[in-house]
Amino acid sequence: MTAAPQIEVPGGAAAAPPRVTRGRGLLVAVAVLVVLAAAPLFLAPFATTTLTRIVVFALFAVSLDLLVGVTGMPSLGHAGYFGAGAYAAGWVSINVTAEAPVPLLVGAVFGALAAALTGWVTVRSSGVFFLMLTLAIGETLQQVADSWESVTGGANGLAGIPATRVAGTALANPGYTYWYVLVAATLGVALVVLLARSPFGAALRGIRDNEPRMRALGYPTALYKYAVFVVAGSAAGAAGALLIAQQRLVTPADLGFMTASFALLAVIIGGAGSLWGACLGAALVIIVRDALGPSLDGHGTLVLGIAFVLVVYLLPRGAAGVRLFRRRT
Amino acid sequence: MVVSILNGFAIGFLLFVLAVGLSLVFGMMDVLNLAHGALFLGGAYLGAALSGGWGGFLTALAVAAVAGALAGGVLSLMTEPLRNRTHLDQALLTLGVALVVAELLIMVFGDDPLSVDAPPGLDGSVTLLGAVYPSYRLVIIGIGAVLALVVWLVVERTRVGALVRATVADREMVATLGVDNRLVKVAVFAVGSALATAAGVLGGPIYGARPGLDAAVLILALVVVVIGGLGSVRGALVGALVIGQVDTFGRVLLPDLASFILFAALAIVLVVRPQGIFSGPVGAR
Amino acid sequence: MSELSRRRMLGLIGAAATVPALAACGSSLGGGSTAPTGAGGARAIKVGLVVPKSGVYAALGTDMQAGWELWLAQHGGKFGDVTVETVVADEGETPQTGQPAVQKVLQSDGVDVVVGIVNSSTALGVANLFTESKKLLIVTNAGAADVTGKARTPYMWRTSFANAQVSAAMGQHLAASGFKDGVFAIAPDYAAGSEVIAGFTKAFEAGGGKVVGTVKPAFGKTSDYQPFLTQIQQSGAKATFCFFSGAEAITFVKQYAQFGLAPAIPLYGSGFLTEGSVLKQQGAAAMGVQTTLHYSDQLDNPANKTFVEAYAKANNGASPSVFSMQTYDAANVLNRALQTSGGVDGDALSKALGGIGTVDDSPRGPWTFDGQNPRQNMYLRTVQDKGGTLVNAIVQDLGPQSQPA
Repeated sequence: MTAAPQIEVPGGAAAAPPRVTRGRGLLVAVAVLVVLAAAPLFLAPFATTTLTRIVVFALFAVSLDLLVGVTGMPSLGHAGYFGAGAYAAGWVSINVTAEAPVPLLVGAVFGALAAALTGWVTVRSSGVFFLMLTLAIGETLQQVADSWESVTGGANGLAGIPATRVAGTALANPGYTYWYVLVAATLGVALVVLLARSPFGAALRGIRDNEPRMRALGYPTALYKYAVFVVAGSAAGAAGALLIAQQRLVTPADLGFMTASFALLAVIIGGAGSLWGACLGAALVIIVRDALGPSLDGHGTLVLGIAFVLVVYLLPRGAAGVRLFRRRT
Repeated sequence: MVVSILNGFAIGFLLFVLAVGLSLVFGMMDVLNLAHGALFLGGAYLGAALSGGWGGFLTALAVAAVAGALAGGVLSLMTEPLRNRTHLDQALLTLGVALVVAELLIMVFGDDPLSVDAPPGLDGSVTLLGAVYPSYRLVIIGIGAVLALVVWLVVERTRVGALVRATVADREMVATLGVDNRLVKVAVFAVGSALATAAGVLGGPIYGARPGLDAAVLILALVVVVIGGLGSVRGALVGALVIGQVDTFGRVLLPDLASFILFAALAIVLVVRPQGIFSGPVGAR
Repeated sequence: MSELSRRRMLGLIGAAATVPALAACGSSLGGGSTAPTGAGGARAIKVGLVVPKSGVYAALGTDMQAGWELWLAQHGGKFGDVTVETVVADEGETPQTGQPAVQKVLQSDGVDVVVGIVNSSTALGVANLFTESKKLLIVTNAGAADVTGKARTPYMWRTSFANAQVSAAMGQHLAASGFKDGVFAIAPDYAAGSEVIAGFTKAFEAGGGKVVGTVKPAFGKTSDYQPFLTQIQQSGAKATFCFFSGAEAITFVKQYAQFGLAPAIPLYGSGFLTEGSVLKQQGAAAMGVQTTLHYSDQLDNPANKTFVEAYAKANNGASPSVFSMQTYDAANVLNRALQTSGGVDGDALSKALGGIGTVDDSPRGPWTFDGQNPRQNMYLRTVQDKGGTLVNAIVQDLGPQSQPA
């Protein structure tokens, strides 16, 4: 177990906060959850829909942060697993059943499956090479979604997905949909946070900071990296299942480079490594893209690009902050 | 058949001009310049804005080269403060710049795709071995070959080129020799970016200028760089020509799988030999 | 540690600032729809015009908005005695932006009717929103067969076309024009491209024709058509039928000429190949290319002459495109429906639309609804130089065409 901050813990303060902060953190989290849960009672339907999208993207961003911030694997193709889960959940909702939690579980399983199939090549590379490889994988998955018309609907995507049903009744109301998404996403984020706080998570952070040393200590780092890749893919797939619960539609663009870039942006802005930061980043990205974008003539991307640049400059200073990349010897 | 081979070379040489800058910068400084595609797009829009007549074409080339060099210099300076941070941060910075530049170009030039005419005299076709082929693309092969020769000569036969090669091989060592490798980095960044922007102008009559073109060519350039090897001019040339042929023949023989072929190639090379086919000995990295 | 708390503070401030920014009075739990329609006193209707204002289809969106606004300007901004308020929303390029735009006008702006939609996936993706809110959608472009076919609902009507409808006309024409021996078909690899080729092939083969080859280049990713052009030359085809729009149309037509196919293997296409702003960009390469479409600004009927003149006056001399005309007609049919509907909800309007009969004052010529899609005349057009500008001149009226089954 990591010690209190008298010793220089790799990764700095973001790695393992001492007990006192953790208790405070829990209180803040509960408070935020209460506010979020009460939101539909006060907000108009369109605002609730936007909030739902934020929550979905937050789970997606948290799953990416598990890879990028906690394990130091910068992925530009994570949207591929997000989309895989969305397509699977959508297909099941149309052809089998839309009864919760079936689409959610299917999404998580398919996200994990897609990550398992493609992840084994990625764990042998790192840093910028890993970035390019995941970019290629994401593009390939998008291409599959585009071409496999009989299953994925091709370029048109899967439309007409029925509303998720809870205990028999369909969630047609933005408020009820939001609550379902909120509960599922909270569970997902909580599981990821627990994982990051466990000894497994500590090993991941060790891998992030100095993989050769971890190997020297006897850890099978490739196996750990593969495992977290699959877990992150599963969480992303679950987020995808929530996407279709809200959007009732999934298209190849949801697997693409732009979606993956926005997720990475959310993680970086929030502060890679601190999982709740990814949630904030997700909120910012969705608000700028969906709420502000139309009033900026569709140029929300410009604002996000500038934010990206600023964040990279002003974020963690050097070694004391969060390190995303294992140190070269 | 002849047409396809010629086309593979035309696309290949164009890719070389685009990718060589990316390869050198990546090889030298481990900086992955994700804004490289945006530079190409800037050149393409420049060519579209000034198109029509030889004067316009040559002016566009000249302006593109200068603007590209300036942009490269600026990018190099922007990544300077991050040199002690991770290479991912530098790559992310260039990604942000790429998003901003692409949006700015849309704001200036609009959403419509623009087409560019080849300069007069080159907009016709010639008959070669019984096949009709656009003369402009033949000229691209010529220009590409000449540029490849020039770049190769500079890198292999001059002192400056020796510095570049040395920095690719072992930059700390070069620093201990008293050379300020920041200047070398700025210079290579500037020249590489100028080539990318010029490639945009040259590619205009073939690709036109449209939003989204930057992402498409960036991925192609990345494939070339990875396959050819970081920091190697010869690798960039061979990689570009190979990708040009694979792309062309892939689309003729297996149209459904064409896109997968390139990514599969990229993935295989990244796994088997990440430093590329033509890069230096493994120990240097 | 100080960094964490600084970020935490920023986060809380940000979250706090978000809520008022998002909040609008009301609750999201009571039913699906929102604000009451109409003002007190005189009848009024609020229409959401959802068209692309950004992305690759932005030019179409501009034309569509211009067509809509022209009709309203010509009729004092009213449908009969019903005042019209228009809310414009940006559909963007994909359902990722299109669906939120439709949701916004339905839920946030509280419109009664939605008009527009270019992208077929968006149209199919928002179908359930209209079924649930019981409001009417008039599609003024998206050409997927399912919109008025498999995925049909009483709340989605279309004043534009079905992809296969336009290409079937060309199929019939080429079969009857001496090209029975061999035609090569090429269109991008996406749903619209597949539907166009299917419609063409069915009609062409029904007329005794033989398709000697089909290929579908990657959609939106292909800039260099040389491999496909070589394939066409090697197939022995006597003519090429193609479907491209936007940037791909420009590139394909130019390269078709550059690689020397044009004189020996004439190029035919679905009308979008030479429609709108792409014709100017194609330049000389487009001369002589023949297409079928349900409209051209060169049509010689009184309604069209007035339309073209008024459009030019209101839009700095610009010529209307098929997209402008389709949205102009949406205003026309909505007006007719309101005369007899007695209400602005989806059920009343849908019933009224079913009974409006022939629309005889449309710039495209007379047409009627056949199963929620127009049954309209298809015209054979050819690209000609008219006083220095390229136009789609009418060669022949090919007769009425419905959406193929």
